[in-house]
Order: sequence, then structure tokens, then C-alpha cells
Amino acid sequence: MTIEMQRGSVIVMDRRRGKLRAGQGLLQGLKVVWDHWAGSFRTNDNFSKIHGTFTVEYPDERLPMPQAYRNMPVLLFDDESGHELCTGCYQCQRICPPQVIHITQAKDPVTGKMVPAATEFIIEYDACMSCGFCAEVCPFDSIKMDHVYELSTADRVSLTMRKTQLNRPISYYTGIAPDLWAEAQAGAMKKLQGSIKRRPDVIGLAASLTEKIKARRLELAAAGQVAGGGGQEAGVAPAAPAAKLTPEEKAAKLAAMKAAKQAGGAPAPAEAPVELSPADAKAAKLAAIKAANAAKQAGAAPAEAPVELSPADAKAAKLAAIKAANAAKQAGAVPAPVEVPSTPLDAKAARLAAIKAANAAKQAAEQSNNE
Amino acid sequence: MQDVVNQVINTSFGWGWPSWAIALIGYLIVAAILFGIAPFQMLFLTLYERRAIARMQDRIGPNRVGPEGAFQPLADGVKIFTKEDIVPAAADQWVHFIAPCVVVAPTMFMFAVLPWGPGMVPVDMNLGLLFFFAISSVSAVGLMMAGWASSNKFALVGAMRAVAQMVSYEIPAVLSLLAIVMVTGSLSIVELINYQGGLFISTRDVASVPDWGLGWFIFSPVGFLAFIAFFIAALAEGERTPFDIPEADSEIVAGYMTEYSGMKFGLFYLAQYVLNFLLCAITSIIFFGGWQGPGVGWLYAQAITPANLQGDWIFNVLAGVLGVFYFLLKTYGFFFVMVWIRGAYARLRIDQLMDFGWKFLIPLTLVNIFSAAIWVGLTKWGAADGLAFVEGWSPLMRWAVAFAVTLILNLGAYLFLARIFAQSQDERTRQDDEVLEQLTNVA
Repeated sequence: MTIEMQRGSVIVMDRRRGKLRAGQGLLQGLKVVWDHWAGSFRTNDNFSKIHGTFTVEYPDERLPMPQAYRNMPVLLFDDESGHELCTGCYQCQRICPPQVIHITQAKDPVTGKMVPAATEFIIEYDACMSCGFCAEVCPFDSIKMDHVYELSTADRVSLTMRKTQLNRPISYYTGIAPDLWAEAQAGAMKKLQGSIKRRPDVIGLAASLTEKIKARRLELAAAGQVAGGGGQEAGVAPAAPAAKLTPEEKAAKLAAMKAAKQAGGAPAPAEAPVELSPADAKAAKLAAIKAANAAKQAGAAPAEAPVELSPADAKAAKLAAIKAANAAKQAGAVPAPVEVPSTPLDAKAARLAAIKAANAAKQAAEQSNNE
Repeated sequence: MQDVVNQVINTSFGWGWPSWAIALIGYLIVAAILFGIAPFQMLFLTLYERRAIARMQDRIGPNRVGPEGAFQPLADGVKIFTKEDIVPAAADQWVHFIAPCVVVAPTMFMFAVLPWGPGMVPVDMNLGLLFFFAISSVSAVGLMMAGWASSNKFALVGAMRAVAQMVSYEIPAVLSLLAIVMVTGSLSIVELINYQGGLFISTRDVASVPDWGLGWFIFSPVGFLAFIAFFIAALAEGERTPFDIPEADSEIVAGYMTEYSGMKFGLFYLAQYVLNFLLCAITSIIFFGGWQGPGVGWLYAQAITPANLQGDWIFNVLAGVLGVFYFLLKTYGFFFVMVWIRGAYARLRIDQLMDFGWKFLIPLTLVNIFSAAIWVGLTKWGAADGLAFVEGWSPLMRWAVAFAVTLILNLGAYLFLARIFAQSQDERTRQDDEVLEQLTNVA
């Protein structure tokens, strides 16, 4: 029965009970309890039912957690390459309300410059409030909320989780939250497509990574053939070596670029081939070419300088010319070590680049001397 | 037991011990068995109650210790034994110490007259019923001692309530039993059970009825009304919900048990559960025939008894096992009803409790005594007693007339009293509201 009112309607329950005779209400109460008792020997699997036992005997049985359940944050790494998704961008550390995330940014050992990776990543689980802000804010889908809730320890310190304890393979996360991971993947793909549209020539998987992934896949396939399905464990265990490689590689690139900037293209290619892998050799080649270009430009500029530039510019040009000359002198001394190559092809290229750089430097020097 | 002891000592060993020694040994053995059984009942009933009430609340209940939680009471016992025994500094030390014993002892005494099966009664007293209820009232003294000695206001209030409740509800309990005693004409509990042979009609009323052990008092209007009144009174005596006013935890902590801890508290608990067991047992004995049931009478007729010395001992065992089975089945059934009521009803207020006891149950049981008198007259009396008009009626006819008359009388009395009681309660509520209005000036 519904009573209509100005502000809506009031629903009056019809309990189908007339006037109760003496004692009838007591019997009805007993009937309700009896129904519960009799019904309790069946399990109540769907919660719309009134009767039936719905107890989950916890240590023996567990409820499946909903995918979006969040307890404590963990870090993800790629199963195949062992590549950690975290770049050490500090977004999570900044947003964390109880301030329990502490990141140490990876640095190039040679140059001391920062590299997009984290050498240490600490989360104090004891003070974490499970808000999930870190997972939400992470631009690389690297930090995600775990489902594990049995975290009791005997002391507080063992709840301070380091990077090795936080690392989980992506396959673990897809196991507990497949839909959420698919969502994250879709989001990342969309972002990538947008980036490709904006800068079509630049975006793409680095050649170095492609090769590395290929090599790792082969390795995993070999391990799989031998061990027969031990692939996942292999994916879980190593994370550290890959993490070491990545910064080095990046450091090499950075070093090369620095060399190019200083217009002394020779030193980088000269030193590089001694110890580095093909990828680094390539980077060195690139650097050499850039250096050559820079040297050419440097050579071209002073020639025109006096015509139109102010004294300050001329000074700067002179300074640059001197620097270039020094570089060229150094370059002239160096070519010998270039003969220690890792691959003939790269060595040749490096030597070629070095010669070119030397020539360019000589030219520049002659020109400045003529003046 | 004494004849067995006599057989073993004097006949088998030929030691020729005097009869008093035989009797002493026999009673000691029986007492030892009963003192073992009583705490076991308490252990079992606590688990039983917790499991049953859990089911009524859609839970599972204790099931971790042992198979289906069977050892849970033992775990509780270990816990309660290892707890510290605290006596308040302001307490009366000796009274505080003795009170649990005074509460437990009567419940143990009550086992003395409780028949478990055919021929299985520790003492067949001809005043058994009187002994049972007289002894059960003694525990009220223990409760008062506990409440007084604790020097705690909650304990004292709880003890006052307990005593008031026990004294008020002993009256309807005894009055409803009086009706049954009038019908049987005996206060012996064994005689009470023997009376209940037959099939829906007692063989003592109508001799031609086949003896299936089902001639229970519950099947007569007098017995039914007495049963309802007695069971309600038993709930109040055993301090079960909805009459658990003396230990209403939401009002007065734990009543008279407030200042007790460790095994002294455990003894109160023991006394309470043993008393509940005994009340269920006496209910099943008085109204549901005790060990009476299909087959027991037939088996016992062929067993070795004082009346039949040529019987076979195997029938003693069979009759005993079947009789005890029926008896415990009924007893635990009543305990289930107690738990069921606990699951369903809320606690009464003390004034509601008193109103219900004095204004409803006592008049009802008084009417029931009148009905019982009519029943006895119609089924047993004859012209010699002044009832000439029943001469010539067959026993079945006399039983049917008695049944109809008492049914009408009891039903009418119930409906009339229920209406009166409801009106008086409404009037009381109205008066309370009026007083409240005058006091607060709020309508």
C-alpha cells in the first residue's frame, strides 16, 4: 500500500497479520527463530536470501578478493626482460599522505647524472594507510595495490619493505586484477598513440631494447625447453641485473651527447669501443657524427664572424675556435686506441668518424690560424 | 545397585559383610557415578546451547576444538581453572567463599531422586517430588549469600531479583505439579512415571488401553495446562531468557556473580546448567513420561526385577538403554526448547515478570487444580464417594467426559485470564503515561 503525499510517497508494509490473539505473537516469534535454525543447515551462497549459514571459515576458506581491492602497494617489473617499470619520478613519494614512500634515484656512476630508474624504493607498510593514491598517480603503471592482507610480523621494522621485497612480475598483477591491468594497458596504448601522432619521427621502441627483449625471449625459450615451464619463476627472480644495465646504457648515451656538445667528438668514440656492447658502439658512432658536424659548424662560423658580428660574438667565436683546435689536437693524438674494436664494422665506423672529426678540426684550426 | 554389590561380595566372594556396609558401598558407587555425570551434563549443555543458538542466528558456533567443537567445554574448563581467584577486599570472606558451594550442593542432591530408566533411580522416595522442589529452593539462600557477601550493589540487586523471582515462580510451579499429584495420588517420582503407560490415555484411567508407554499427562487438558505453566515457571527458576533478570548483563553486570572469578564463577555456572538439566529432566518425567516409550515396558517386564526373579539380565540392559535413551532424548529436547526461547524472546522487566507470575500463572494453575479435581472425580470416584451418576459409564466414557469438561474449563479460563491480563497491562501502561505526563508536562 502506498500513501501519496506532496513530497513523495510513503510505503506502508502489509505484513498480512490481523489482530493477534493472546499468545499468538509469541508463537510467531518462535516460528521465525525455528525457520532460521532449520535453514541454517544449508549454506547461503547468495546474500539476497534470509536463511542459511554464510560463514566463511577464514583460515581454511577465503573469500575471493574483488579486483579493485587494495591493501598495500607493490612495484611491477616486466616478466620477460626484468625491466622495472619505475622510473623514480617521485610522483608517488610526493602524493603519499602519510609520507611512507622513499625513493633513491639511480645515477650514472661516471657522470653523476640522474637516470630514469630507482636504485632503492622503500615503503613503510606499518604506516601506509592503503589509500591507493600512489597507484593512481603513477604515470608508468609501475606501482599497484596488492591483495595480500596477512602481513602480521613480530616487530615493526620487518614491515619496512625494500625494493627487492616490493618487486612483483606483471604476470602476478594480471593474475589478481586482469581487468585493471587491461585498463592500464589500454590507457598506456592511447597515450602512446597520441604521442606518435604528435611526434611521428621520434617515438618508437629503442633499438637497444628490441634486441635485448629478443635475446631474453630466446633465453627464456631455451630455459623453458630445458626446465619445461619454469619460465615464470625465471621471470620472477632476476630484476637487479637488468636494472644495472639500463642506467649504464643511458649513461653512455648521455656521455656521447655531452661529447658532441663540446665539439670534441673524438674522445667519446675513442674510449667507447674499448669496453662497450654493440649498442654502445652505435651510440658512439652517432656521437662521432654529431661531433663532426659540430666541428664543421664551428669551422664555418668564425669565417663569417668578423663581417657582421659584434666584438663579443667575435670573442666567443675565437674562444670556440681555440677550443676546437685543442680538441683537434687531442683527436690527432688519439686515433691509435681506435684500433681496439669489438666488432670490425663498428670499429671501422668509429675510426672513420674519428678521422672525419680530426679533419674537420684541422680545417677549423687552419682557418683560425689564417685569420 | 545394593543387590548387585550384595551378590558380588556375599555370594561370589562369600565374605558375609553386614547389610549396612553393603548399603553404604552401593550408595557410594551410585553417588560417585552421579557426581561424575552432573559436571559432564554441564559441559555438554554449554556446547549444545552455543551450537544451537548459533544455528538460530545463522552462525556455525564453536567448531575449532576437536571434531565439531566437541572439546570446546574442556578448553573452557582449562581456562576457567587457570584464572585468578579474586575476592574483593570489602567482601565477607567466608560467606563469599561458601556461597558457590551452597548453590551447587542442592543441584547435586536433586539427582538423588531422579529416575534415569526403568528401575534406575538412586533413591525411590515416596516424597520424591516434594524433596526435589524443596531442595531446589535452597539454592536461593546461596544466591542471596553470594550477592550479600560481595558488598557490591549490582551483586546485591541481582541476588534480590533472583530470590524474588525464585520465590514467586515456585508457587505456580508447585501448584501446577499439585494438579498432577492429585491425578496420580502419589508424590513418588517413580510412581508418577509408572502412571504414564498406555497410548494417549493412561492405563490407570482406562485399563483396556494398550501399553505403548505413551500415556503421558501432556495428552490430557489438565496435564497440558500444567505443563505450560510449569515450563514457564521452570524457565524463571533456572534463570533462563526471558526470565534472566537476576543476571541481566546489560543492567547489573552479572547479578550475584559479579564479584566472582575463576572456578567460583565456574561453580555458579555449573549449578545453573545442572539446574537447567534437572528442570528439563523433571519436565520430561512429569509430563512426558520420563523413560516411558514404545518398547521399554515390554522389555522391562522380562528383565530381572523384584517382581520377576526369573528374568533374563539382557533385558535389564536393553530396557535400561532404551529407557535412558528416551529420557535423555526428551530432556535434551526440552533444553533445545529453552535455547529456542532464548533465541526468540527479549528479557522481561521485573514488574512484568511479577505481574505475569502473580496475576496470570497463579490463577491459571488454581483453575487447573479445580480441573484436576473434576478429572479425578469423573475417572476414579464412584457412588461410594458421592458421584452416583457415573455408575454404569464405561471407563472410556468416563475418560472422554472428563477430557471434554476439563478442556472447556481450562480453555475458557485461559482465554478469560489472557483478556483480563491484557486489559490490566493496557491500563497500567495508560496510568504510567498519565503519571509521566503530569511529571513532565509533555503529552
